[in-house]
Amino acid sequence: MARMCGNSDTARLRGAFIAEVLANEPLCRDHWRMVLTLPQFPTTRAGQFVNLQCRPLDDLLGARQVDWPAGGTPRFTQPELTDRETMLRRPFSLAGRRDCDGKVELDVIYRTVGVGTHWMSELKPASSISILGPLGNGFRILPGKPSAVLVGGGVGIPPMLYLAEALTAGGKNIAAFLGARSAELFPLHLLTGGHVSPEGSPAECVAELAEWSVPTAVATDDGSLGFTGLVSEPFERWLDAGKLGADDVVVYSCGPEPMMQAVGDICIERGIECFLAMERHMACGMGTCQSCIVKIRDDSEQGWSFKLCCTDGPVFSAGDVIW
Amino acid sequence: MMADMSDEKTGPDLTVDIAGVPLANPLMTASGTCGYAQEYADFVDLKQLGAFVTKSITLRPRRGNDYPRVVETRAGMLNAIGLANVGLDIFLEEKIPQLRSLALPVFVNIAGTTIADYVAVAEALDEVDVVRGVELNISCPNVKEGGIQFGVDPRQIENITSAVRKACRNNKLIVKLSPNVSDIAVSARAAVEWGAEALSLINTFTAMAIDPETRRAVLSNGTGGLSGPAIRPIAVYMVRRVYTEVARDADVPIIAMGGIQFARDALEFLLAGATGLAVGTSLFVDPACLVKIRDGIGEYLARHGLSRVQDIIGAMED
Repeated sequence: MARMCGNSDTARLRGAFIAEVLANEPLCRDHWRMVLTLPQFPTTRAGQFVNLQCRPLDDLLGARQVDWPAGGTPRFTQPELTDRETMLRRPFSLAGRRDCDGKVELDVIYRTVGVGTHWMSELKPASSISILGPLGNGFRILPGKPSAVLVGGGVGIPPMLYLAEALTAGGKNIAAFLGARSAELFPLHLLTGGHVSPEGSPAECVAELAEWSVPTAVATDDGSLGFTGLVSEPFERWLDAGKLGADDVVVYSCGPEPMMQAVGDICIERGIECFLAMERHMACGMGTCQSCIVKIRDDSEQGWSFKLCCTDGPVFSAGDVIW
Repeated sequence: MMADMSDEKTGPDLTVDIAGVPLANPLMTASGTCGYAQEYADFVDLKQLGAFVTKSITLRPRRGNDYPRVVETRAGMLNAIGLANVGLDIFLEEKIPQLRSLALPVFVNIAGTTIADYVAVAEALDEVDVVRGVELNISCPNVKEGGIQFGVDPRQIENITSAVRKACRNNKLIVKLSPNVSDIAVSARAAVEWGAEALSLINTFTAMAIDPETRRAVLSNGTGGLSGPAIRPIAVYMVRRVYTEVARDADVPIIAMGGIQFARDALEFLLAGATGLAVGTSLFVDPACLVKIRDGIGEYLARHGLSRVQDIIGAMED
C-alpha cells in the first residue's frame, strides 16, 4: 500500500489545528482507532505524540458561555457547571500517518479510561477535534544495525505500528513482541489464517504489522492469546536463540513501566541499544508546565537530573532512565 | 521600541500602561506557564502580546518536586512544581538573549527563601535592558520556604517589599499577591505602602487531591496550587476588592490572572479594575488563546462603540 501518494501541503510550524474525524471504531473491548484528517500538518516521526482536546471546540464553548443573556435569567449552561469535560488536553502517540491527495491522515489508537477518552469514543465521523502537535522527539533509526525489535504492551503498542513503517522504509529486518492483559484487550486485528504461537515465536499473525511483513509474537497475562505471561520472556528467549547482539539489533519499546524496565535490563545486559518511549501525566506537552519529569542519568554532581517527557522525550535511551 | 508592535489594522486602542511601562495591549503570560518563551515559539507569535512574564527565577537552580507534580480537577488543575528553574546565572546567560529577541517588555518573576536571595536576584536583573520589571513571588504555595511565608503576613510583605524596592532602581516592582489570606486588600495595602508599583493577583489557592484507592495525596508534595476556570469568580472578586479598596485611589495598576480562557473572562477582569491580563493554565491547552483573547477584547470594544480599552478598566456598574 502506497503511503505517500502526492505531496500534501505540510504546515511549517507546530501548533493547534482543527482535524476532522474520518473514522472512529472500536478495536477491542477498550481500545479504539480514530483516523483524523487535516489539510496540513507538520512533518512527524514515529514516537512523537499529539495532544487532543477531549471536548467540543473552544469556539463553541465560548459561545455557550454567553448563554447568560443581559438582563435575563441565568440558564446555568456554562460548561464547568453542566458537563464532565476535560480542561487539559490528553497526549496520544501517533500510530500512523498518510499523506494523500493534498490531505494528511493521522491514526490514533486510544484506550477509554476516563472522561476525555470516553468523549472521544462518542465522536462520529465528520465531527471536529482540536489537535496540538506534533510533540516530542520521536524514535531514532540508527544506520548500520540491520535488525530492529519492537516490544509493545497495551497502549504502548500504537507507536510501534508507525515505527514499523519507518523501519521498513529504512530497510531493517523487524520482529515484534506485543503484550496485552487478555485477548479482549489486544488492540490489533489478527490475520485470517495466521497462527499466533503459544510459545511466543514471531510469525506473521497480526494484520497491521503483516502489512510491513513484520513477524509478531503475542503474549497475554491470562494466556487467552499467544504466550502466557510477560512479553519480555519470549523476547529474551528469541534474542538468545538468534544470538543477536549489539552489532545486529536495536530494540524499541513502549508500554507499562515494569515491561519497559525488564526489556531495558535485558538489552543493557547484552550491550544492545534500546530506546524506550515513556509515559507521564502532563499538562502542556510543550515544555512549559514542567510536570512530566523523568529521572535521567547525567554527569552532573548528583548523577542525574529531571528531564521532561514531553520535550526531552518521550523517547529515552534505556541505560539513561532511573526507575 | 514599541513602534513595531502597534496594530496595523485600525481598531480600538488596546494600549495600556503598567507603572510607566507602555504595553501594546493588556495580554501577558502568567508566570510559570510559559517557560522562558522559546518553548512556545512554534505555537504562538508572542510578539502579539503586551508583555512577557517569565517563570520564577531563584538565585540557585532548583530541580523542583518529585513526580507527580500536576493533577487535573474539575475545571482546573493542581500543580506543585516546586519552583523548578535554571537559576539566575543560566537565566542571564542563556535565556535573556532569547527574551531580547521578542522585542517585548519582560517582567521577571523572582522567588527565594530569604529576603537576601530576593534582593540579590532583583539587583542582578536591574541592569538588564530587556527586563522592565520584577514580579515578586511571595505567594508560591508549593515550596515550604518558597516565599509564601512572606505573602500571608502584612508585616512580612512590608519587609520584603521595602527591601526589594531598594534593589529596583530601573525596574518596576510588581508584587504578586496570595489569595490564601482572609482579606487580600490588607496584603495589597501593605505592598503598595512599601513600594509596589503594580500588583499581580491572584496566585494559586493551596489545595489538595486525595486518591481514595491508595488513601494518599495525589501529588508528591501533598498539596498543590489550584488554578484554571474553577478559581475565576473568586479572582474576579479579589481584583474588584483590591481595586476599590487600594489600587484605584493609589493609582497602582493591577495585573489580573485566575482562570482566563476566553475574551469574556478577560473582560470581567478589566471591568473589575485590571489593567493587565495574564493567562496561565489555558496556555497549556493552546498558547494561541492569548491572541484570540486580545482580538476578542477589540471586537467587544468595537461592538460597544468604545475606542480605548482603558475606558473600561474598573468600569463595571456598582
